[in-house]
Order: sequence, then C-alpha cells, then structure tokens
Amino acid sequence: MNPVVGVAAFAAVSLATAVIGFYGLRISRTTGDFYVASRTVKPWWNASAIGGEYLSAASFLGVAGLILLSGTDALWYPVGYTAGYLMLLLFVAAPLRRSGAYTIPDFTEARLDSRAVRRVTSLVVVLVGWLYIVPQLHGAALAIRITTGLPAWVGPVAVVAVVCITVVAGGMRSITFVQAFQYWLKLTAVAVPIVFMLLVLGGNSSPAEAAPAVNPTALAPSGPYQVISLLVALLFGTLGLPHVLVRFYTNPDGQSARRTTLIVLGLLSVFYLFPTAYGMIGRAYAPDLAQSGPADALVLLLPGRLVGGAAGDLLSALVVAGAFGAFLSTTSGLVVSLAGVISQDVFGGSVRGFRLAALISALVPLGIASMTESLALAGSVGLVFAFTASTICPVLLLGIWWRGLTDAGAIAGMVTGGVLCGSAMVAGSVLGATQTPSWLAQPAAWTVPAAFAVTILVSRATRGRVPRTMTRLMTRLHTPERPLATER
Amino acid sequence: MTRVRVTAPRSVTPNGTALNGGRSAAASLDAEEETDAGQLFVRSLIRSQLRLGLVVALGFLLIMLAFPLMLGLVPGLADSTIAGLPFDWVLLGAGIYPVIGLSAWLYVRTAARNEARYRDLAGDK
Repeated sequence: MNPVVGVAAFAAVSLATAVIGFYGLRISRTTGDFYVASRTVKPWWNASAIGGEYLSAASFLGVAGLILLSGTDALWYPVGYTAGYLMLLLFVAAPLRRSGAYTIPDFTEARLDSRAVRRVTSLVVVLVGWLYIVPQLHGAALAIRITTGLPAWVGPVAVVAVVCITVVAGGMRSITFVQAFQYWLKLTAVAVPIVFMLLVLGGNSSPAEAAPAVNPTALAPSGPYQVISLLVALLFGTLGLPHVLVRFYTNPDGQSARRTTLIVLGLLSVFYLFPTAYGMIGRAYAPDLAQSGPADALVLLLPGRLVGGAAGDLLSALVVAGAFGAFLSTTSGLVVSLAGVISQDVFGGSVRGFRLAALISALVPLGIASMTESLALAGSVGLVFAFTASTICPVLLLGIWWRGLTDAGAIAGMVTGGVLCGSAMVAGSVLGATQTPSWLAQPAAWTVPAAFAVTILVSRATRGRVPRTMTRLMTRLHTPERPLATER
Repeated sequence: MTRVRVTAPRSVTPNGTALNGGRSAAASLDAEEETDAGQLFVRSLIRSQLRLGLVVALGFLLIMLAFPLMLGLVPGLADSTIAGLPFDWVLLGAGIYPVIGLSAWLYVRTAARNEARYRDLAGDK
C-alpha cells in the first residue's frame, strides 16, 4: 500500500477530531458542561455518539479478521456485541439514568451508601478501562505498521496524543460531537469500499463461489461451551462498560435513555453487516492473510487488493481513516469516563483535576500496550467483556433490581469475579493460545455465575447492612420522572 | 389518594457534586414513596418492569438458541444457500439483527406503558 495514503488518512481524521473538539470547546464553559454536556444532547446525537464510541478496533478490524480465521464461529462476536445493548436496554438504561449518578462508582455509592464500595468500584472501573484501551492501541500499532511502514509505536503514541489534546481541551460536550461524527465516519469507511468491491467482483467471473465455506486455517470449530461462554461475556459485559454507561447521563430522562438505546441497536446492526461482509469476501479472495500476516489487517488491505489503482488507494485511505476513527473514539470515550472517575475520587472533581486525570488515564495503557504483544483484537476485547461481566455487571444488575444487596455482598462479589476472571486471563496469557484449555480461554461461563452467587450469598448473610436509603433509591430508579417529559 | 409533597435533600457526592439528574426540584421526593400504598405501586412497577425485561431477554435467547439447533437438526439446511450465500452465514450474519431490533422496540413500548399505568395509579398526572 502507498505509505502516503495511510499518513494522509490518519492526519485527516486527527484534524477533523481536533477541529470538532475545539468547536465544542467554545460552547462548553462550566464544570457541568465539561462533564456531561449538561444533559441536553438529543437522542439521535447521543445514539450516534454511543455507536461511535462503542465501535472499537475490535469491531472495525477484529471482527472481520476473526471471521477470516474461524468462519461462522466468529459471527457470534458481532451478534454478542449488539445483543449486549439489548441487555443494557432491558435491565440498566432507564434506571441508571434515573439514578442521576454520573459514574458507576457514583451509582454504587449512592445505592449502597458506602464509601468502601465506591473505592472498590472505582478500582475495577479504572482497571476495565485500561484493559480496554490496550487493544485499541495494539490496533493502532498494527494499522500504522501495515499502512505506512513506520515503526509500530508511532500508532499508539499518535492516538494517545490526539485523544489527550481533544479531551483535555474540550471535555464531554465536544466529545459527544466528535463521537457522533466518528460513527458516521466509520460506517462510511466500511460501507463505501464494500460497494466498490462488490462491483469489481460482480464484473469479474468470480473464482470462488462457495468460498465462505473454505477454511483457510486448520482451526477446529469451537464447541458449544466456548460459544455460550463468549455470549455470556458479551451479553453481560456490555452493560458494565464504563464508557458506555457514562453516555446515558447525557439523556434528559429515563424514557429518552431507552429511546437512545433503541437507536443505538439500529446503528450497530447496520454497522456489523459490513465487517461480516469483509470477513466473507476475505475468506474467498484473501485467504493467505489468515496463514501469513495478521488477519486483523484484512479490512485495511482488502479494498486495495480487489480494487487496484487510484480508486484502490482512495478506498484504502477511507478504511484507514475509519480504523483510526475507531481507535480514537473508543480511546477518548474511555479516557473521558476514567478521568471522570479518577478526578472525582482523587482530585475533587475540578476541571483542572479532570485534565490531569485524563492524562493519567491515557498514559498508563500506553505503557502497558508498548510492553505487550497484540493478540487477535476481537478475542482480547472479548476477555475484557468477560472481566466486566464478572465484576461490575452483578453489582449493577442486583443493585437495580434486588432490594437485598448490601455493601459487603457487592465488594465480595466484585473481588471474587475480578480475582477469578483476572487469574484466568493471566493463566491464559502465560500458557499461550494453543495450550489454554477452553474453560480458561473463555472464563465468563463460570466466573459470572460465581460472582453473582457470592454477591447474593454474602448480601443474605449481612442482611442487617441493607442501607436505610434503599427504599427511596429504588423508588427513584424505577419511577418515571416528573413533570412528564415524554409522551406515553 | 391525597398527595403530600415532602422535600428532601438530594444525595450529594462526598466532594459536593450534586447527583441531580436534571429533574425539576419538585420531582425530588413524593409522599407516595413513603406511604404503604405508594410503596405498593412502586413495588408492582418494579416487578412488572423486571418481568418484562426477563421475558424479552428469555425470548431473545430462545430464538438465538434455535438458530444453531435449526442448523444442526434440519438436514441440508446448513448447506443450502440464499442468493448464492450460505444459509448459516445469512442467518447469523444478518438475520439475527432484526430479531434484536424487534425485541428492543417491543420492550421500549411496553416499558413506557407500564410507567403510564403507574402514573395513573399513583395519581401523578
């Protein structure tokens, strides 16, 4: 690929991100603006922003790469990523918005009336955020190496630099605009090349008609345990992701939080058709990528391969821009939410503290990413979902729907889930991909039930610790706001 | 039911940031939340919303479970094609998304209806 194409695409996306960020800065003045865009963002904007933030390197590059590698088994990833939002809609969206809390630690502290719970939750949230940023930076390293030939570290450093500048300068308001722009950028970047590729393929006599059935690797199909465990992780992991939850506070009320989620589901469904198509076409026309070279680069390389010449270069530039959009948007979303948590817990919630916290939230994962090797992107993000599902999800779901939850139960559950899932992740990376048994490689099927069980049992045993504010809080979570903000 | 409005301080985070969810001050706390009858309505609202969520989630999971079962049990289905594409790819890669969307739409409609019923019961017009 022409190296100028990659550099130009990245520069254009960064510039657009920065310009929208600075435009947003002009209208965000107070601390309130800075944090949650004063909760005046319209559902369409908000849904686009959520979509933009959620569609990470794993969605943009990882899904197609994994489909190239393992075929229909990998189709469960986009399904799980989308269905996770269904679970979020069913059990979390409106109550969480009505809780009025800004971060997950705010929620658990208010619900359980306990500072200790807040500290443990903050720790878990920051850990999840860092774990989630690392694959984004790995994706950036891969993209910069494949498309420009520059050393791999340039990618992560550039992404972190752009994110820090926009977040520190603009805060959440500009982030909302930036993220909404990123969704449409990503959709365009992934959809337009598909149209051209199909035109080219339709013109040729297709050499591989039944090609998706061809298996370019010798990977065994995954058994029912792996599929179920993956779905548990993705379905229950999504509703605990810190950068996703923070978005719900920008809705004016619970009902609009639901409507926003509904739109998000539509946006995600449309988006995921395209990585699936890339994976399918890739299996037919670029099976060599699965054997040699990174399968995750499929989306970046396929347009240039199938559509040659200047048109191919232009399409490549578009997908590269989309990929960097994905790294930038997810990373900045995570940095904003982590900075929200860290600044409130450590720096007293001032704007200056927020900026300092943003720097910390971005630089630590940069260090981790530079010290670790990239795995398959969709797989490593899948593990982060498993971790979230085993730690934040039980506390959130039980906190919203069960009156008996206590602070001791919440802490015990989070620690159990975190330790179990964390050790499975460490054991998996020590043993290596081929040696890890499937119950360690996909731990969610047992760590999530374990975390739920411990949370419930300990809460039952410490029944006396149910906070006195519980009734009032449960009422607030579940009753509609007044005055009537929405139609029936 | 007579309603008496009681004002209560909003909960505040330790560093003083108000946890105000953008609601009007009047909405902060109502007497119905404190009385037995009010709590009865709230509890029944929570129960119906939880039941609704569980039913939709279970229905969706069953449909998702049915997909691989169908492919495994109906002979020849996994090898058949739709418009040149393998059936299982079309089913998992595209066919499942409308099911997700429909479940979500049904949920949002019914959840809003549950809340409207609660408003009527609680005399909150």
